[in-house]
Amino acid sequence: MIAGIDLGTTNSLIGVYESGFPTLLADSNGKRLLPSVVFYGNEILVGHEACRMQALHPEETISSVKRLIGRRFGDPETKDIAGTPGSPVTLALGGQNRTPEEISSEILKRLKAIAENRLGTGITRAVITVPAYFNDAQRAATKRAGELAGFTVERIVSEPTAAALAYGLDKLQDQSKIAVYDLGGGTFDLSILQLDNGVFQVLSTHGDTRLGGDDLDRAIGKLISSKAILDSFSSSDGIRLHEAARTAKETLSSEEQTNILLPFLKDGESIEMTLTRSEIEEVCAPIIRRTRTHCLHALEDAGLKPGDLDQIILVGGSTRMPLVRELVTEIFGKEPNLSQHPDEAVALGAVLQGAILEGSLHHVALLDVTPLSLGLETFGGLMNVIIPRNTTIPAKAGEMFTNAVAGQSGMKITVLQGERELADDNWTLGSFEIPFPPSPKGAARVGVQFSIDADGILQVLARDTATGSEKIVEIKSAVEVSDEAVEAMLSDSLEHAFEDMDARIFTEARLKAEEMLPAVEAALSQLGGELGAGEVILIREQAAQVTAALESRETARLKIALANLDTATQSLATRLIEKAMH
Amino acid sequence: MDPFSLLGLPRRPLLSEEEIGTAYRKLAGELHPDQEGGDAAAFRKLGAASAIVRDPARRLRELAGTGSSNSLPSQAAVLFPQIAAVLQQADTLIEKHSVASNALSKALLSAPLKSLSVDLRASLLAVGTWRNSLEKELIRLDAAWPGVDQDAMHLVADSFAYATRWERELKERELALACTK
Repeated sequence: MIAGIDLGTTNSLIGVYESGFPTLLADSNGKRLLPSVVFYGNEILVGHEACRMQALHPEETISSVKRLIGRRFGDPETKDIAGTPGSPVTLALGGQNRTPEEISSEILKRLKAIAENRLGTGITRAVITVPAYFNDAQRAATKRAGELAGFTVERIVSEPTAAALAYGLDKLQDQSKIAVYDLGGGTFDLSILQLDNGVFQVLSTHGDTRLGGDDLDRAIGKLISSKAILDSFSSSDGIRLHEAARTAKETLSSEEQTNILLPFLKDGESIEMTLTRSEIEEVCAPIIRRTRTHCLHALEDAGLKPGDLDQIILVGGSTRMPLVRELVTEIFGKEPNLSQHPDEAVALGAVLQGAILEGSLHHVALLDVTPLSLGLETFGGLMNVIIPRNTTIPAKAGEMFTNAVAGQSGMKITVLQGERELADDNWTLGSFEIPFPPSPKGAARVGVQFSIDADGILQVLARDTATGSEKIVEIKSAVEVSDEAVEAMLSDSLEHAFEDMDARIFTEARLKAEEMLPAVEAALSQLGGELGAGEVILIREQAAQVTAALESRETARLKIALANLDTATQSLATRLIEKAMH
Repeated sequence: MDPFSLLGLPRRPLLSEEEIGTAYRKLAGELHPDQEGGDAAAFRKLGAASAIVRDPARRLRELAGTGSSNSLPSQAAVLFPQIAAVLQQADTLIEKHSVASNALSKALLSAPLKSLSVDLRASLLAVGTWRNSLEKELIRLDAAWPGVDQDAMHLVADSFAYATRWERELKERELALACTK
């Protein structure tokens, strides 16, 4: 029996295929959603029990670990954790450094136990879902988490693809084209699929692995604290605030207003206020609007117009927000389909994929794609694409390279993933050296072959065609650096991380100021004549404040002066935009 | 093996996106390694074949066999300066806009971005017109098939390659521009 698992940022689920139907399994309290939260104390707690520990022991509790899986220090996602840029992320919890895949494996172990309890039998095989836009390292790390939990991972499947399968199997007409809009706790994906006689073909996918409900909660939390005029919190108050923000978001999906009550915060303060739907929509709109770009990209890559789509399917808890539904309607010119349970579709799809693999579901095939282009760094530092994005997987492609210099005795091969032209702007999956005997220019030939398996994970094969020597390269994902090396890098960087902080913030503010001041001059010279003398004087005064703050080298002062200048030039900016539109 | 026969399609210049897609999905559904009797190697070959057949430039080159047109299509030479200039302009402005950290600097870019969007539209229209004439050319080639001159086929293939690439690059910039708003 193969279990289907949705390993989510916020919640996780497990299910199995039973007597011809996909079924999701509940724990002993009858709950199917397991919060993706882990507590490391005397014992390891997972799910609801870990949630209860979170406010009391914020330092020993971890949520949203999916945002860190397969990442390295230096990625935007890791900015709050100290570590050496480029090394794999680890977190100090319960007195030990733990990798995100270790932490995720605790969640998977709990799911496994829930299923085994319910079914009274051991479960050792699983299909696990990941965001479609997860890269190679993130997929490999998720697979590793499954193995740590004692599963044989039969397949890593993309979440929107799984959801389409769950939705489409009984509801869709043959020959339909659909879009799956998946806004989860931490990630966003938009996939476009075509259905044809039981074949689910992904035409294109686009997304952002750093955009989700967590970001909305954070924005709402900021709104609450700024309304309450509180700007610093202890970490346990911060967690309570985040909780309150999430509850408010959920309530305001159906109500027009809600009350926030947070008594006994730090220093005996408390927060009590009313929050309206339109207030939270104002702070959430810029975040939700970021999904539009991805929708347009996916449509473009599929060669379709919004009108070509038969259905828009919403997946992920965050799609319950009315604002999300409005935006989806605006982008696709069509009301989204709400018949699918947004929290359960992905897990059901994973179960169905398991059923296909074990041969209990016939005449259904999923043709998924690789979300990001894969290629090599070329001589001039450019990205040379070998397998373009949206290629159906499994896939294989290769290219032949020759030596550019006479007497060269080896070739360095750097494997990249991403869509940017410059090699440096893409994610480096790994690099390796292919040695060959020194030979005249163009005489050495190295064949490089990329092969992506059905999990979307890459293997690279390089072959020196003259000697026939062959090298299979397992791409080193972030996880495979030795523990000692990580420890050494960590202790090095921890000492420096904090003292550098203030200097870094000042530098950032200084760079902003150096950009802002010439912009003010340019704008005034274009439009100064149309402004009232009073406004010009005000702007110049604020600009002078910024210059003075720069000289004082006081970070706080510079930030305030910049904010004031920003406000003073607001109408100037508006006029510039209006003028351009005419 | 011949990519056309792998897909069970006739070897000819004109094939619709739809008939290629339908043929591909039918076979892919059977050959996918998840399926009973599936075959990973055959599935990958099918994928490679459909990539060739779906792209008009690659399809024509496959039909014409070895050789090449050796000359730049004249319409490509005409359009190149305009398109190269607008692409470069787009990259510069979009980059400037993305690194601008304050509202005023972004606002200063609105006039140049507006005129860029007009230029992009015009270039896309020019490439689109060219592409339409190439589609007609494809119909003519198909009608005369197989009595078609190899060099003529390579010329049309190269033209499609340029038009497809430019269209894609221009649309990418147009999307990036739409996302600055």
